[in-house]
Parts: sequence; C-alpha cells; structure tokens
Amino acid sequence: MSERGMLSRLAESLFWIGRYIERADDTARIVDSYVHRMVEDPFNDESATCRSLFSILGIEVENQRLRTGETLQTIVYDIENPNSIAGALNGAYENARRSRDYISSEMWVALNTTRNELPKREKRSRDFGPATYLSYVRERTSLLAGLTDATLSHDDGWRFLVLGRNLERIDMTARLLRGRVVSEENAPDWMAFLRASGAMEAFMRNTREINDANGVAAFLMLDRLFPRSVLYSLNLADECLVEIQPVGQRISSGDAARQALARARGTLEFIDPRQLIDQLPELLEMLEATCFRVTDAVTDRYFRHEDAVVWNIEEGL
Amino acid sequence: MSERLGLAIRHHTGFTYDGLAKASYNEARMTPRSLGTQQVQSSRITVRPSVPLSSHVDYFGTLVTAFDIQETHPQLEVEATSQVESWAATLETPLDWRALRSERLSDRFSEFLLPTHRTALVGAITDEIATWQKLSDVHECVETASNFIRGEVSYVPGATTVSATAQEAWDRRKGVCQDITHVTIGLLRAMGIPARYVSGYLYPATEPEVGDVVEGQSHAWVEYFSGTWTGIDPTNGVRETQRHIIVGHGRDYDDVAPLKGIYQGPESTQLGVLVEIRRTH
Amino acid sequence: MGVVFEEDASGAWNEMFSSPGQPRPIYERLLADINAYQPQELRLRSEQLARTFIDRGVTFAHSGEERPFPLDLVPRILGALEWDRLARGIAQRVRALEAFLADVYGEGRIFDEALMPRRVITSSPHYCRAAFGITPPNGVRIAVAGIDLIRDEHGNFCVLEDNVRIPSGVSYVIENRRAMTQAFSALFSDHRVHPVDSYPSRLFAALLAAAPAKALEPVIVVLSPGVFNAAYFEHVLLARMMGVELVEGRDLVCRSNHVYMRTTNGERAVHVIYRRVDDDWLDPLQFRPDTVIGVAGLVNAARAGNVVISNGIGNGVADDKLIYTYVPEFIRFYLGEKPLLDNVETHRLDDDEVRAEVLGQLARYVIKPVDGSGGKGIVIGPRATTTELKALHKAISAAPRNFIAQRPVALSTHPTFVGEGIAPRHIDLRPFAVNDGEDVWVLPGGLTRVALGEGELIVNSSRGGGSKDTWVLNDESIPFRGAVPPASARSRRYAGPPRQNDEYIFEQGEQ
Repeated sequence: MSERGMLSRLAESLFWIGRYIERADDTARIVDSYVHRMVEDPFNDESATCRSLFSILGIEVENQRLRTGETLQTIVYDIENPNSIAGALNGAYENARRSRDYISSEMWVALNTTRNELPKREKRSRDFGPATYLSYVRERTSLLAGLTDATLSHDDGWRFLVLGRNLERIDMTARLLRGRVVSEENAPDWMAFLRASGAMEAFMRNTREINDANGVAAFLMLDRLFPRSVLYSLNLADECLVEIQPVGQRISSGDAARQALARARGTLEFIDPRQLIDQLPELLEMLEATCFRVTDAVTDRYFRHEDAVVWNIEEGL
Repeated sequence: MSERLGLAIRHHTGFTYDGLAKASYNEARMTPRSLGTQQVQSSRITVRPSVPLSSHVDYFGTLVTAFDIQETHPQLEVEATSQVESWAATLETPLDWRALRSERLSDRFSEFLLPTHRTALVGAITDEIATWQKLSDVHECVETASNFIRGEVSYVPGATTVSATAQEAWDRRKGVCQDITHVTIGLLRAMGIPARYVSGYLYPATEPEVGDVVEGQSHAWVEYFSGTWTGIDPTNGVRETQRHIIVGHGRDYDDVAPLKGIYQGPESTQLGVLVEIRRTH
Repeated sequence: MGVVFEEDASGAWNEMFSSPGQPRPIYERLLADINAYQPQELRLRSEQLARTFIDRGVTFAHSGEERPFPLDLVPRILGALEWDRLARGIAQRVRALEAFLADVYGEGRIFDEALMPRRVITSSPHYCRAAFGITPPNGVRIAVAGIDLIRDEHGNFCVLEDNVRIPSGVSYVIENRRAMTQAFSALFSDHRVHPVDSYPSRLFAALLAAAPAKALEPVIVVLSPGVFNAAYFEHVLLARMMGVELVEGRDLVCRSNHVYMRTTNGERAVHVIYRRVDDDWLDPLQFRPDTVIGVAGLVNAARAGNVVISNGIGNGVADDKLIYTYVPEFIRFYLGEKPLLDNVETHRLDDDEVRAEVLGQLARYVIKPVDGSGGKGIVIGPRATTTELKALHKAISAAPRNFIAQRPVALSTHPTFVGEGIAPRHIDLRPFAVNDGEDVWVLPGGLTRVALGEGELIVNSSRGGGSKDTWVLNDESIPFRGAVPPASARSRRYAGPPRQNDEYIFEQGEQ
C-alpha cells in the first residue's frame, strides 16, 4: 500500500509506457501470424485477410480492395498511427521522455535506441519482408519488459506500468480471439494463433489437441498459470490496483476500476470451459468494455491533472 | 464646506459567468490607505464565494488583497468597505522648471516620465505644449493643460472600454475619467512633469450633509510632481479635494486596476459596480 | 606519426601552445597522450562519443529536432592557481549581484548614492515590480549563476555576461566528463582532474537551505516547461540526480498561497521550486495570461513566504547588458572589494557623447542587444555588411537603451578535433556557481563552448557550437575551495552518479 503517492502525470506516463510496449509486442505477434498468409499463400484472399487484420486491431478501413503492402504500412510502420507497431513504440518513447527522471536509464536507453533504429529496420524490411522487423520489435519489447521488472523499483510507478501492460494484454488477446470468431476463414489457423500468443509450447504441454478450438480458447482465456491468459492478466491488474490504493482508507471508497475487474473475473471464474466457444463473442465484447472502463476509472482517480489550461482575464472597476 | 470629511465608502463589484467558473485567481486594489490627505479608520474586504484573503502592499504602495477560488462558482462578488477621514491638501509653491527638470529629479521619477502604452500620445498637441511650457508656474501650466484636455475630450460613459489607451481616447475626443486621466498624464510627461495615475473614489455632492448616502463612483485622476505630489482632477476640472479618496497610485491604470484576475471557465460579465458613500461627520 | 596540429594563424590567445609547436607546460602531458593516438583512432573515438550521446538521448531540441551537442575530444585544461583566481572572481561577482538584486527590490541604496541612475533599472524590461517585497528566507535570489568568461588576446580572462535567470548547460559538464572518462580513461590516469559530479548535491543543499523556515521537511521540485523545451534533458538530469520530482506547471496548483503538486494520492505541499521557466511564463496572474506552462498564483505564494522560487523572480534585471557595465561598481559599493575579474571593455549607448562616438565608427565595435541571450542579435562590426551597419545605426538611434557596444575581442583558441586533424577553434567558458546563502561554490571548470566553424566567434549550441570537457587540475599546494561536497540532508531516493543526461541551449527563456 502506498503512503505518499506519486506525481499523477508521471503515473499516467508509466501506465501508457506499459500499454504501448505491450501493444507493440502483441501487434508484432498478431501481424506475424498473418504475414505468412498474406505474403506467401497464393490462394489467400488478400483483401479479406487484410480486412480481418484491420478489424482485430480496431482500425476502421473504407470498403475498398486492400493490399498487403499498404496494410503493413498502416499497421506496422506508420509512426503517426498509435495503433501501429512503430506508432506504439513512439508512444512509449514519448511517455518515457516525460518520465525520464523516473524510469531507469537502461530502460530509457533501450527505448531511445529502439526508436532511433526503427527507420533503418523499416528500410531493410522493404527488401527482405517484414519478418526481421517484427522479430526485432519482439526482441526489443521483451528486453524492455525485462528491464522494467529488473531495473525499476517495484513501487507505485512500476505498478502503474504493469497495470497498463496487463490491460493492454487482455485487450489484445480479446481482439485476437475475436478475429478468429468474426472471420474464421481469413484468420490464421489455431496453430499460428497460439504461436502469435506465445502460447504454443505452454499449450502443447497441457493439451495436445491443436484442433480443439474450445481448448485453445479456454487456454488463452482461463489458464491460471500462463502469463498471457486473460484471467492471469485480470488477476495481476487487480493486484496492482490493490497495492496502489492509498493507505489509511479502512473502507474502500468504491474503486470503479476494481469493480469492473471483479465483474470480469467473476464471469470467467464461473464459466464452464467446455461451453466457452459458444459464449466467446459476448465474453470478448465484455472484456474490451472492461479494459475501457478500467482505463477510464484509473485515469479519473489517479491521473488527475490539468492539461493545457486556458486562462480568461477579468478586469473590473 | 468643512475642512474634514468623514466618509463611509462601500464599493461592490464582481463578475457573473455564463455558467460556472473555477480556478479563479484575483487581486483587488480597493482599500484606501492613510496618506497625507486622508486617514483610514477601518476597512474590510468581503469576497463571495467566501475564501481566505491575503494582503500585501505593492511596489507603488497600494494595498492589494489577493485570493483564489477553486470551487466552481456562478458569480464572484467583492465588496470593500472603509471609513475614511479626508481633507484637502494646501497648494505648495512649486519648484521652478529648472529644478523640476534637474537630472536628479528626472532620474528619481523616471517611471513617471516615461510613456507607457496606455499613456503614449504620438505627435499630438505639440503647439499647445510649447505655449504651456512658457508658463513659469508649474501649477498654472498643469491646470491649463488639464482644462484644455477637459475642453477637447468629452466625458462620455461607455465611449471606451477598460483597455483603451490615451491615444484612442484622444483620437475620438471622448472617454471616461480613466481615459481623460491617461491623456493628461501623457501630456504632462511629454512636458517633463512627473505624473502618476490615481485610482480612488469621488464623493460627488458639493454640499454634503452628514448622514446622506450618495451614489459615488470609482474615479481616476492625476498627481504631478511639483516639489510635492499634487492632485488634479482633469475630468471634473478641479484640483484634488477632500471629496477625493485615494486608493492607489501607478504609472497608469494597469498598475491599479480595482479588480483584476484570471479564471477558467465561460465568458464573464462585469456586475454593475456600486459605490455608495455616506458622510459620517 | 600522430595527429597533425594545424597552425594557429588567428592572432588570438592559443590555450595549448605559447608559440607554434611549443606547448604550455600544463598541456605537455596531454599533448604527449594525444600524439600517441593515430588519427583514425581519434576519429573512431570521436564517433563513439557522438553515438553514446545519441543513444543516451543527451540532446537539445533545436527547430523541432533532437540534436546532440557535439563534444570535442580534446579537453581544455585550467591550472589550479588560475582556477582559484577565477573561482574567487566568480564568487565575488555572484555576491555582488545578490546584493544588487536585494537592493533594487528593496531600499535602492545605490540610487541614493547616485552610483547608478534609477532610470537604468526602471527602463529595464526585466525589472519586475511584482517581485518587489518578495524576500527570500535565506536571502538567496541567485541559487545558480552561469558567468560567461572569455580569454582575450593577452591571456586575461574577462566577463562577457552574467546569467542569473535560468542558466543552462551544467548537464553537459557532467555528461561530457562521464563520456570522456569512458572513452579516454588513460588520460585521466595521467592527470589529477577535479571531479564535477558533486554539482547536483551542491544544488540540492542550496535549495534545501533556501526553503521556508516553517517547512520542516521541505519538498523540492524542478519545474520544467516540458519535453519540448531545449533544455529538457538538463531538467531531467538535475531532478534525477537530486532525487526530486520533475514537475510541469500543470502538476502544480496554488490555493490560498500554498503550492501543491498533484499526486495519485491527493495533493502534496511543495516548498522550493527550482524553476526552469522564464518569469514571463511563470504566473498567468502576474505575467503573460496565455502561458500554459506556468502556475497561477505562484508569485503571491512566494510573497506569502510559503514557497521559494529559485532562481528569484526578477533576476533578469541583473542580466541586462547595460546593467552588466555597472557590475564592477557593485563590487566596490556593496562588497567594498576590488573586482577580481574585469568586464570586457563596454560602452553605454544611452550616453549621448559615447553614442555619437560609437555610431561614428560602428564597424569597429561589437554591438549587442541588452536583453539578448544565446548570441541573438549580436552584430560583429568588423564583419558586418554596410546594409547591416546601416540598419543597426538606425536601431541604436531609435532606442539607445537597448544596445551596448564592446571592443571586439578575439576569443582564445583551442586545438579542436575537426575532420581529419586538429585545428584551432575559438572557445569561451561558462563556470557555474551555486549559492547556498553561506558560501558561493563554483563548480570546478564549467562548460567550455567551442565554435566549430573556422574563424567563427559565436559559440552557442543553437549556432552549431560544440563543447569540451574542462579540466581543473588538482595541485595540493593550493587549498581548493569547497572541493568536498557538504553532507546534504537527503530525504529522498538517491540517484547516484549521473546516469542520464541532459542538454543545453538558449532558446525559450533558457540562457
């Protein structure tokens, strides 16, 4: 429990560093799982696959024929787009600049050099395909995640970062699953899908039924030990919020963020794993709404600061 | 008219907002202080919404009341009340021009000799200035200049805004006391006479009775240096009298605005300003 | 064969060589060390230095771009004796400027004594009437000063300008040393160089000493305009190394003359603000209402004694270059001492006779605007075109108070690694002084800025300048002033040696 609190603006930056690094990582994983189909599969419906990818990432596109090159440009390289990989890394960098007196220098240097390196990597991937770019990003985001845990004190600032990371992870896993639900034929198969979630080995160790859709979904949603599962992330996010709560409040002040998390956990805890696949659409919608609500509630409660203020002048006789 | 006037002054002002204002920071310069021509017996400022007030004396010697209001509020009201005894100054023999323009004095009062953006007048009235400066008596010179301005610039309430400059008022030949004061200050400074802005109140009745409550006004006039600071009211064409109550001095209006602040929120409108003065003795 | 040293034909004082090929004694060992390197090796290390700075984000924002401030790999050396004299001169100057500020925001004794016309102050745009009546609890208005020095043709150091508003650049001193000790550790084992990393703890101690007496556990913050400020890196470095919060205006709120920062756990009182925001933008109630980086009500909170703003509001009046010409008088008047450092020969143009003389031969002077910083608006007469001089003539005649004229001084030169070899380039020196109210401590060395263009005299980073690591050699026969940092009462996490870094520059109010 924390006594003194930390600067609200700083807490917000750290929260977003967590979210953006995770977003870059997850997006790289998702694109990776699609890229094989997009680039190499001659029977692939290029436009539909691209559309499916856009929809997973929550990017609205006009109803036109979509091409792989342009799609990758928007989702991977476009630094202006906060949902792209480059954009997310840039978002993390911008927030790190604002919290540079707080984060470790190792973290800062890692983020700064990553951002400086991206244009070169992008150039190279134009010749050799996006795979090396994606693996570079995943390598760097892993490094950043490791540095976060190894070089920051595990105080409130770190907790806000981890909270952000887990909310983003829930959100992205939900999106990934939804891609499968919405448009099965254009989404990667379950194998690619597990690989994208980094869950392939963990899953195989447990279950060997790769074609059991319900099994895969249950693993990604409900597994208690796998750190990328939704339930695991929900629990972790809640732990962070408990720790962050100011001390000396004997009666909980009705934390809206924790309420939203509790509701989502409750739903997942009591679901019958065998029925999961049928309820998946509603569950995923609920999870996306939860992430949204938690972010709102946390922002409201902890990140209160004025943004650009406009002062009016008054002069009276 | 008796030598000494006892006056109870109530000055009510403020703003109303098109909605709710918050984070409001203000400074009020509405409290008279004891000076050579007045003695302040008591004074008080009340602010609504009610918040803690702090006060200090500024660079020009004016008493400032500062306060901030964080909570949302639809309206801000400030009321200053004071009990003052006032008397007229006697007109001292002025310095001669040479002494007035000595390096020592012109340096000492450099702030009241340099134009500000409020008082600057470009190329105006040079002929008249040349004539007035030939008058050997500084008082007479100032009086002539003041009367000239009174003749040229008509007092028209609402003719200008609170942010008007002397140049604007002069070009339009109309304004309120603040503008006429700025024009006069501009001219006096141009002649090398140190001149400063006076913010205060005027008790309008010339034959006041004890007990009468009269609607007074926030007023502005000029003090010039002629060996001592001497007041003159160009708007009314008189010298400073016991009916003039001084609140503060400055280079121009901006140094002594009665209520000045900033806030966040929708547009504000000035509340009707009310100045009530009652003669107590 | 080692590196080739290009001969110095500038006619200026060469810091390393007394005559071609003849090093000054203090540089002998360094010269031998450098000669041991092959040129390509030097280039490699130079590139490596630049790369470290970019990776670590030791950059300054210029025209919307983050740039590193190039570090030249040839260090500048100052002897212990010479430094001792400089440090005493700087400290003396800071004490005099403190006394002057206390006087012009107080009694005004100097005017009564007619040592300086009051007009000089009242006409200064930086004379801040709102600062009148704000009394710093320990009397310190200048917690940090950056006094710019140059060495003239005869080898004499003189003061070019005083910066007591928000002097910047100290982060480069710290980062340059850090980078140099890594890239050229051998050089340091050959020389006994005074360390520079005690600066943050000195500053922290000074800020702590400046706190209001009623603050039992003073909370200190660094107030920055934000990431877009040219000196943001420095703000980060100082906050980090002092272990205090780095805040922006929007993180603070004043209520009833107390200042608080907004935290995740409610508001927390702040007692000392080391601000890197210029007066104009500091408090929308008193100054520019269009500021988005200031804190409304700050000035009155300082007046009420609940918070200390450091450096003081209104210090700019002491930076005014017309007022600079009076500083030797200040030293005599306020301190009763003889100035240890001279000004550059300067002419006041508000004097009719002087002005007539200067205007008559404008091409022979350097003309500076009185409130410019960062080399802005400076015209070097001998190098100016006729059109420039004509425009200048007009500007001075219209507003003589706004300019001063100086004798053109050939800034000393220092061998500097450029391209393939080492060539002389002009340099200056900005030492940093910290005043804790008891003592004025001068950081050993300071920032040497170098104009990288051949013959270029303006050294500012915004004009493509670079910097050098500046060494003050330790000589045990000379007692060193304040070499041991005070044990500061730290209440917050300690950040250790400089790990992150900073920047430098003179735009947006930074000096």
